[in-house]
This record gives sequence, C-alpha cells and structure tokens, in this order.
Amino acid sequence: MWARIANAVLGIWLMAAPAVLGYGGAARTNDRIVGPIAAAFATIAIWEVTRSVRFVNVALGGWLLLAPWILGHAPAATVNSLVVGALLIGFALVRGTVEQRFGGGWSALLPSHTVPEEHPAGGEPR
Amino acid sequence: MAESDAPPGWSYNPSTWGQRLPIVGLALVGFLIAGYLALYQWGIFSGVWEPFFGDGSRVILNSSISRILPIPDAALGALGYLADAVTGVIGRRGRWRTMPWIVILFGLAVGPLGAVSILLVILQPVLFGEFCTLCLASAVISVAMIGPAMDEFLASLQWVKRERARGRSAWRVFWGLDDERRGAPRTAAQG
Repeated sequence: MWARIANAVLGIWLMAAPAVLGYGGAARTNDRIVGPIAAAFATIAIWEVTRSVRFVNVALGGWLLLAPWILGHAPAATVNSLVVGALLIGFALVRGTVEQRFGGGWSALLPSHTVPEEHPAGGEPR
Repeated sequence: MAESDAPPGWSYNPSTWGQRLPIVGLALVGFLIAGYLALYQWGIFSGVWEPFFGDGSRVILNSSISRILPIPDAALGALGYLADAVTGVIGRRGRWRTMPWIVILFGLAVGPLGAVSILLVILQPVLFGEFCTLCLASAVISVAMIGPAMDEFLASLQWVKRERARGRSAWRVFWGLDDERRGAPRTAAQG
C-alpha cells in the first residue's frame, strides 16, 4: 500500500516539478506525460487484483533514468529525473501483501491455461 | 457470509454490495463533477470554480480539444460516469455468474473512462500549459474506480471460460441463460 502511495505521489510530483524547479523544453513535456501515467498505474496497483500493473512503473522509471541524455535535460531536470526514476523502480518492485485469492488470476484467461476449480495458495494475480 | 457464493478458487465474492456500492458512489460523484463542467461548457453557468490555477479551468474547458466532438468532453465524461453507476448497480450479489454481460459491460465502461481521463490530464499542460482543478479531480475518481471494478470483471471472464471448457455455450453463459445452478453455489454443487 505505502509503496503504491509513494509512487502515486512521485507521479504527481513529476507533474508539478517543471514549475517548482523551473525547467522547460522537452524535459518539462516529458515529465508532464510520464507523471500522470505513473500516478494512474500506481493507484490502480493499490488493489490486489490489479497489483501486477505496478511493473509499468519499473518501465517508466527506467525511461526516466535514460531520458536526460536522450532529451538533453538541464541540470535540475536531470537530477530530478534520476532520483524520481530510481525511486519509482524501487517502490514498484515492492510486492506488498496479497491476502485474497483470485481463482488463478488473469493468467487463467490465457488460451494455454485452464481456470482452476480451486487455487492452491494465495498470490499476486498475474 | 460471502464464502458460499465466492467464485471457485476465490477467497471472497467480488459482487457483494459492499464491494460494488463504493464504486457506484464514486461514479455518482464523478457524474456530478463532470455534469457541472458540462453545464459550464454549454454556457448555462457563466463561470467555473477554480481555486488553484487562475484561468486554467476556463482555458482548458474552452480549448479546441474539449470541442472536438459534437458534445463537450465533460458531457461525454458525465455519460461515462452514468454508465458506470448504472452497470455497477444492476444485478444481485451473484451477478459475476448469473449476469456476466453486465459485469463485463461494467468493466469495459470503467476502463476506457479512466484511460481518457489520464489522456486529458496529459493534454492539459502539454498542449495548453494549464491545469483545471475539477478536471483533475474527475480524473482521480475515474482512475480510482478501475482497481476495485476489475476483480468482478475477472471473475466473470473466468466463469465464462470455465463453463465453455465444460462444453456449455459461451454465448449462453455470457447472457446468464439456462444456468441450472442458478441460486445454488457452484462449489456446493460439485460435492
């Protein structure tokens, strides 16, 4: 729960950061796009049945670690991008507690899987 | 209490009123916010409430993107929230099994509404350099509805697939037709 909240706050911070830290250009546009997406997936991942979408923020964090060199960020935007990217990845890798069982989860819908009658143990639905 | 009517392999029933009513409540709040913004866009209200971003709401709600469709975008949002509330409230606590069509419609209504909201949240600052407080509030609500709606959606999809694997018509299972176990928990019928 806390890890999802932390990433949602980081996403909202990315939306505000260009104004607060005073940077513009491609870095500003990038952070205003990545921020809402990160906050949205962090929020959706709060619920156990959709916990797996937390991994989207691993990808977004990875992009934030690369973006300063691809987009040519200013120093303040670079530091912000690296710190936020690393934190996003770290929090997204926290699985948290999953107490409910979901009958095999989302992967049970794949053609190669069968929907089980009983799911043996708890686990993050995938 | 929820144990007996939980889907096979589930630890709880995702279709109980306790599970669904909070989502319906969120949808109704979203409907009120989007309805208010739509009334402004139609010119029925001359001003719009904006505590943080100065001219932000006026710029966003009168932007070219907001008028890209025949009706203002907030009116479309209000219709989306209404669809969420209606599909969220129809059916009883066994509806993941007895009415998969309404549960799947519910999931399909909730998902895209959240996606469009996030798209609009991105477009506001990127294209117009402004934010709109109530638009952001509406986006938060529509995203918060996705997670809690997806468990029921998953249970219905699993149900249709499982019954199809047993040789029943997926079409009839989808519409909740000829369920011989209607009213009786599936797990109890297996013995």
